[in-house]
Amino acid sequence: MTKRNYATVNPCVMCQPMGSALAFKGIENTMVLYHGSQGCSTYMRLQLAHHFREPVDIASSSLSEKGAVYGGRENLKKGLRNVINRYNPKVIGVATTCLAETIGDDVPAIIREFKEEEGIGDDPEKYIIIIPVSTPSYGESHVSGYIKALDAVVRKFAEKPGEESAVKVQNEKLNVIPVESLSPADVRELKEIFEIMAEDYIFLPDISETFDAPLREYLPKIASGGTPLSEIADMPNSQASLGLGIVSKNLAVKYLEESHDVPGYSVPIPIGLSNTDSFFTELVKILGCPIPEKYLKERGRLLDAMVDVHKYLYGVKAAVYGDPDLVFSLTTFMLELGMNPVLIATGSKSRDFGTRMRQIIEKINPELEPVVLDGIDFDTLNDAVRECSPEILIGNSNGRYIAKACDIPLVRVGLPIHDRVGAQRILTVGYRGALELLDRITNAILEATDTFTAPVQPELAAYTGKGSGSECVEESQ
Amino acid sequence: MKEKIGIVDTLEERKPYIARKQEKGQGIPLTCDNNSLAGAISQRACVYSGARVVLNPVTDAVHLVHGPIGCAGYTWDIRGAKSSGVETNRTSFSTDMKELDIVFGGEKKLSKAIDELVGLYHPPVIFVYSTCIVGIIGDDLESVCKTASQKHNISVIPVKSEGFKGNKSDGYKAACDALKKLIKKPPENPTAKKVPRPSETIKPKINILGDFNVAGDVWLVKPLFEQMGIEVIVSMTGDSTAKAISRAAEADLNLVQCSGSMTYLAKWMQKEYGIPYLNASFFGIEDISLALRRTADYFGSEKMKKQAEKILETEINRIMPEISRVRERVKGKKAAIYMGGPAKALTLIKGFAELGMEVVIIGTQTGKKEDYEQISYSVRDGTVIVDDANPLELAELLVKQKADLMVAGVKERFIAYKLGIAFCDFNHDRVVEFEGFDGFVNFAREVDASISSPVWNAVRQRTLIPEAVESDKKSGRIEKAAVKERISGENYANKCKSILLKPEFLHQKSETAVESQV
Repeated sequence: MTKRNYATVNPCVMCQPMGSALAFKGIENTMVLYHGSQGCSTYMRLQLAHHFREPVDIASSSLSEKGAVYGGRENLKKGLRNVINRYNPKVIGVATTCLAETIGDDVPAIIREFKEEEGIGDDPEKYIIIIPVSTPSYGESHVSGYIKALDAVVRKFAEKPGEESAVKVQNEKLNVIPVESLSPADVRELKEIFEIMAEDYIFLPDISETFDAPLREYLPKIASGGTPLSEIADMPNSQASLGLGIVSKNLAVKYLEESHDVPGYSVPIPIGLSNTDSFFTELVKILGCPIPEKYLKERGRLLDAMVDVHKYLYGVKAAVYGDPDLVFSLTTFMLELGMNPVLIATGSKSRDFGTRMRQIIEKINPELEPVVLDGIDFDTLNDAVRECSPEILIGNSNGRYIAKACDIPLVRVGLPIHDRVGAQRILTVGYRGALELLDRITNAILEATDTFTAPVQPELAAYTGKGSGSECVEESQ
Repeated sequence: MKEKIGIVDTLEERKPYIARKQEKGQGIPLTCDNNSLAGAISQRACVYSGARVVLNPVTDAVHLVHGPIGCAGYTWDIRGAKSSGVETNRTSFSTDMKELDIVFGGEKKLSKAIDELVGLYHPPVIFVYSTCIVGIIGDDLESVCKTASQKHNISVIPVKSEGFKGNKSDGYKAACDALKKLIKKPPENPTAKKVPRPSETIKPKINILGDFNVAGDVWLVKPLFEQMGIEVIVSMTGDSTAKAISRAAEADLNLVQCSGSMTYLAKWMQKEYGIPYLNASFFGIEDISLALRRTADYFGSEKMKKQAEKILETEINRIMPEISRVRERVKGKKAAIYMGGPAKALTLIKGFAELGMEVVIIGTQTGKKEDYEQISYSVRDGTVIVDDANPLELAELLVKQKADLMVAGVKERFIAYKLGIAFCDFNHDRVVEFEGFDGFVNFAREVDASISSPVWNAVRQRTLIPEAVESDKKSGRIEKAAVKERISGENYANKCKSILLKPEFLHQKSETAVESQV
């Protein structure tokens, strides 16, 4: 394997501000502003527009040389003023970039100053809410940017100045907060489950419509949908929080537990059989209701399908890569299917990733000895793929170069997916998501191995009395 | 010009950047060439992006981004520029600067990264791009690159593209400055002024500047010149190599297509090596013809002129039936153009005219005063001209100017789609050639495909409200009341019949704004 210590070749992560946009964009009537140079917003808009195939408006404080030297205060204020003027949002998420962080702008202080100047009060009912989050691009990755932004949002709404000792009015709700961006289709599926099972729930962030907007008669400036603000404000009063994802730390769930006594539970992202089982089991425990018949039927269909395809998948060597929790859940599913995930990798640096992966392998198939890597770039993945020789790749579309070079299929899951349509509709969660994934993986393998149309192997031709495959074709012509 | 206010609803500070062509032949005072307004959501990127898009098509170069991971990640294989040989440029290289590098400086990491990459890829040249952060912490790229260059005996060229130090145009300049360092003095008569040489004796040589070989454009253009007996030394930077670029000063003439990015380099080559330049475009029948004829005229060879005419006759005859067929289908349709650079915008005006279409909106990210003057002479009265537009302005303009098709890049694509307007990508994302004769056929067909698609008819009917059956008979099992309840509100149903679009921003104050004046 190539040992590169200094250069990163074909990155497998995006930067922190990108993650913050994925989070903020799932909140009702919210705009995002990057405090930095103009390019950051444009590049990330481009990435997101490519992936979701939606217009994505992200503002920038457009820092110039002057701003970089004398501080970005004026630019940030001007940017906020213009965004409010043009979009009239209820919330603006202000994410910093490397430039803003390095010149040392005190963003919360500038926002306080701005609010004072503009006469913007603290009452979220009456005034716009501005939420700063520190997301320099040189720190961690888009995954941490996402988690930090959600944490900042929950904190902002939970803090009630002047009434710190107010008595908490408990509601009957369940908070649901993922640690990684799920697809709009995933969010829709989960919401449906909660709608059926939970009396009331709060899903943060809800990108099911904001990043997959229906084309209807009315075109708003800010895509409709997103988690309602009143609901976010109600999160500290909920019965419990359910975090989706167990590799990365769910800061928002932790905060609600520690500061507002909302008990927090975390389950893996419900992809595959056992992860979806744990998800439902946890829900049953928290909510005290049985699993609806609908989902038991879906589970049955999944089992049926798993039986149907078990021979095609048994022992098939796979490489999985992407964000840590997505990879964890995908790998679990592959293990359940009898596949052999020879290479498991994430671009994020994460010590827990390896530990979690080893635990799950130990649990389901201790015979396997996969290569587990974190903090990789695609060049490292490429080297590892050549060493582990998987028969299929599972991950985002940036693995296409490797898949092509190795002539193996790529099943696209995660973000970004730029070279195929439907990224926003890829369903992986729940029993239905598992079914869809199962079909896609199996069909990709059937297609690649040419199982039903491949010619007879030449060395076996003598036994078939038909000659070799190529001759067959010639004869039929 | 008389009504500069009220074309669209926008920020006060943005108003001088939007104008309407009013009287024929009259220029338009349009503000342009400034840094983008904070919070206005410009479609522009940064200095680094400008430099990167110009240099990225150099196929055998290692393009190393010195900065945090994002800058390299978002520009990985972004250009759509094809290569006929190696494709090192499609790999993304970064120093992935982390917090410690910011604190202690990134020079050491950069120099080690260069060593590593030279060992692995053996490139003839490494472009080292600086990003915002480098400009702040003050890494000395110049000296790191110089040392590395001497150590490895290859060109290691710093590209001064700190994101915040200007706008995209400054990035073009930084890219040209980098290219300058690759261009070597030609072996003979380096300072003697070039004069047109008869092609009968020595084969004339040209460079094509500002063609990036997106989808393979250059491959449809180069053969035209070769047929005229001209050697194309290099196209900058589409499908170019370090070696080919180093020979650029041997040329007798430079043809500049993307003037926004390459005029600076062309002027430098004129000054430094006495190579004159002509502006040219290889898009659309008129502009291709002009490019071939002007080149032949420049060299003054009768044989070449004849050859050019022969090519034009054959090629135009070959593609005309298809162009005419499409023209019949799309003529009279209204087009909106929003481009990065002005050269492409200008040539598109002619291209649309050849298809019988009319331009109703035209804008660029980086146009300069002279460019907009030229644009305003080229468009009809009533056309709206806009500099550094943003999504809300574009959306409103598309609706008010009643555009049938937009030509732009990815970020604009979904604005058009959401409004139910056809779209054609003339940017990095397109997968077919648009230049040359076959390229124009491709363009015409794509315009037709997008405009003529039946999906727009479906989209125009944006909602589905079947009329409830007015019957008292109990034939159905569902109570009439329940049906009524499901269709929420009858008035709504009437209201929504034959709706085109209701963007939120059109309901605001500027309802009085001017309709398109055709």
